[in-house]
Amino acid sequence: MMAATFKCQPTGLHGSGIDASAPRSSRNFGRFYSMRFACNTRCNTLRHVHTPLSISQDSSTESSLILIRHGESLWNEKNLFTGCCDVPLTQRGVEEAIEAGKRISYIPVDMIFTSALIRAQMTAMLAMTQHLQKKIPIIIHNESEEATTWTRVYSEKTTKQSIPVITAWELNERMYGELQGLNKQETAERYGKEKVHEWRRSFDIPPPKGESLEMCSQRAVAYFKHFIEPQLKSGKHVMVAAHGNSLRSIIMYLDRLTSQEVTTLELSTGVPLLYIYTEGKYMSRGSPVGPTEAGVYAYTQSLAVYRQQLDEMLP
Amino acid sequence: MAAEVYYQAVGTLQSHSHLNNFNRHQKHQNNTVRLVARDFISGNGLSRRSTNRSGRRNCTVIRSLASQTSVVDPVLSPSRSNAGDSNKKSNEAALILIRHGESLWNEKNLFTGCVDVPLSKKGIDEAIEAGKRISSIPVDVIFTSALIRAQMTAMLAMTQHRRGKVPIVLHNESERARSWSQVFSEDTKKQSIPVIQAWQLNERMYGELQGLNKQETADRYGKEQVHEWRRSYDIPPPNGESLEMCAQRAVAYFRDQIEPQLLSGKNVMISAHGNSLRSIIMYLDKLTSQEVISLELSTGIPMLYIFKEGRFIRRGSPIGPSEAGVYAYTRRLALYKQKLDDMFQ
Repeated sequence: MMAATFKCQPTGLHGSGIDASAPRSSRNFGRFYSMRFACNTRCNTLRHVHTPLSISQDSSTESSLILIRHGESLWNEKNLFTGCCDVPLTQRGVEEAIEAGKRISYIPVDMIFTSALIRAQMTAMLAMTQHLQKKIPIIIHNESEEATTWTRVYSEKTTKQSIPVITAWELNERMYGELQGLNKQETAERYGKEKVHEWRRSFDIPPPKGESLEMCSQRAVAYFKHFIEPQLKSGKHVMVAAHGNSLRSIIMYLDRLTSQEVTTLELSTGVPLLYIYTEGKYMSRGSPVGPTEAGVYAYTQSLAVYRQQLDEMLP
Repeated sequence: MAAEVYYQAVGTLQSHSHLNNFNRHQKHQNNTVRLVARDFISGNGLSRRSTNRSGRRNCTVIRSLASQTSVVDPVLSPSRSNAGDSNKKSNEAALILIRHGESLWNEKNLFTGCVDVPLSKKGIDEAIEAGKRISSIPVDVIFTSALIRAQMTAMLAMTQHRRGKVPIVLHNESERARSWSQVFSEDTKKQSIPVIQAWQLNERMYGELQGLNKQETADRYGKEQVHEWRRSYDIPPPNGESLEMCAQRAVAYFRDQIEPQLLSGKNVMISAHGNSLRSIIMYLDKLTSQEVISLELSTGIPMLYIFKEGRFIRRGSPIGPSEAGVYAYTRRLALYKQKLDDMFQ
């Protein structure tokens, strides 16, 4: 039964992606004919997998993985190398985050991972203000015993209505070393355009005292495999709000890209990317277009049902 | 007398004002910059549950400029070309306090305390509105709590700031965090506003009430007990902080880390929470514990203090740039605003 993919997880803080009280409309699969999705991402590989629209789907768990690259930051605007400098969003970046949120408002989210940088955290929190499910993101604090104690929630019911948000430096942008804070034009003048281009676009050449894309990948993918993948395996729906390079690294892993392919990969800012994780595989589903799209659409049957249930919940 | 301290007073500029006496107006000489400020204070600044003193709400038109006729303001000197944000020679600094707006648990009527809950849509709008109100007031350094709702409030507000300097969050939680977030351009640093996050500015920790529904809690413990925890000065909820305990760590932090900035002439913004800000205001305005428990801070409404010669002068709540005419709380701030206006011509 389709509903089985959203059953409550036996362990952990989170319930299913939908309220238990929502009506189970598992009889309405016939309505979902189209498998239309928009691919306005510039991922250079895209795997189209068509799930059968029959009622008797096998009961393997399936979870969604949303990747969001944050929008414009105040240093983007000024054309400065940012890296791991903790610069916030511009007004435009704020709007991009809210737009991104609208696009994913129908996709279940059980857990959120962000980097340690405010622009990614704000992007996630702004996006979630648009989400239709009633659960509330709560940032988990584990930096000290005191922080954990102080941020503790004392109601089981409230905890079940929460989406844990985990912040991790491993999801930070690539650390740009001595280029951080420098004007892009100045840097080109100082070091030469080719050198700068090499640092920016090669796979394994780091800027002075900084990280190469390879180094960034190493820590980002290790974190993904160690902390995020197990959540997906257990059926949790995950959102990752991070940065150009940390997300490219993860996509390199998800889509099995070569180092050559990943260096030419560009991720649009503020445009969420959806993957479906099922039976140990990641299926790229492009970029959700959001609820304004006419007609019924679905990436998978489960998501279609989820969306329908949300529609029924709302007035 | 602390009881005389009210926020509706319209500032006049006194060189040696006492915190508690907004009734004394001194005439000063006219200067080239005219102040037309009438009502600096919006309807929602600070308010008290106790008696209203309607007489104090009368607005006073300020016609003349400030007190320091004998001091040459460095911002005015012809050699200075940037907007007056250097305070080395000025003995005055602006302090902005902002309480964050609605969070997703406020909306649900749950006790939040130190649980790290983000802003609701309304809270986001409130933050941006707050930013518009302070868009012409200089900010050199920002302090926030360790909770995202206060951090977001500060960052959203600063997207509206006209000066164009960029807030940068400082990271000192580990050596790696510190070295990774380093800026390598002096020019860029000069155009940056450091943002310091401190748990000491967190909301009062509400212990075993955190996450509980307010109605349920009243049902469970009784309305009076809950009221006592919420509104007393020194009675903490189970495993939580009393307002007194919150005040202790918040004010200590303010005095150790924030006041020295003001003393050195830096203009400071603090984005925090109802109880941590009340505690700080208790210190700034020298309130008694009785007075502070009845103090309510409006959410998302920035409050301005001028720090001068070791004293804090309350200036109510800035209205924002849409107000016709030139306005200022002090001459220095008027000039700062004028320079920003010129920049944007």
